[in-house]
Amino acid sequence: MMTTEELKIVQVTKIVDARGTACPGPLLEAKKAVGTIKSGDIMEILSADEGTKSDLPKWCTKQGHEYLGTIEVSGYFRVFMKKK
Amino acid sequence: MEKKKLCLALYTGSVDKLTAAGVILGGAAAEDMDVEIFVLLQAAFAFKKENAMVNDRVAEITDKKDDFLASLKRLGTPHWTAAFRKAKEVTSIKIHICGFAGKVWHGEKLDDFIDLADDICGIAQYIQTAQEADLNLFI
Repeated sequence: MMTTEELKIVQVTKIVDARGTACPGPLLEAKKAVGTIKSGDIMEILSADEGTKSDLPKWCTKQGHEYLGTIEVSGYFRVFMKKK
Repeated sequence: MEKKKLCLALYTGSVDKLTAAGVILGGAAAEDMDVEIFVLLQAAFAFKKENAMVNDRVAEITDKKDDFLASLKRLGTPHWTAAFRKAKEVTSIKIHICGFAGKVWHGEKLDDFIDLADDICGIAQYIQTAQEADLNLFI
């Protein structure tokens, strides 16, 4: 896991903006997007769905990717993961 | 890693339960599950071409139907057909129309149903699939 400061400056390969979709929208968007990046790439998922905040880290870990952390912003949150 | 299998017996023709089914399919898709859906009885009504997009019947808390539908819109919830379609893009989902159910609602051939449906089947296929599945649901 990275600190908030580290997450703020980490080099992100892909940003998935899933704000405006409710569960399971952000999860599905993440699943689709992870197929388009390379192993070792970092992906950031933006979501405003509260359920997704716990779902995404669990999904990430179960799929074998590295969950790096979450930053909460006003009205939404940013989830960071590294593809296995 | 071997994929887990979900067998969903979809009985309902009501949009509240179909919406819930759509959410579950999204979860199954995110987990890379293979899914087989068997469209039974009232669900066959919902899958008919002329009904799919206009059917707004709800099964529960029917006195709050307008509230419910307005909330779905407010939350940007995709129509159940769109949710099914999106899940189908991400994982293997086969949708079988039960032949008997289709006939109840005057659907004799696959073309009578929306293009989400893959084929028409009999009950034996459902029973066999259910026996082999890791997770069985009846909605």
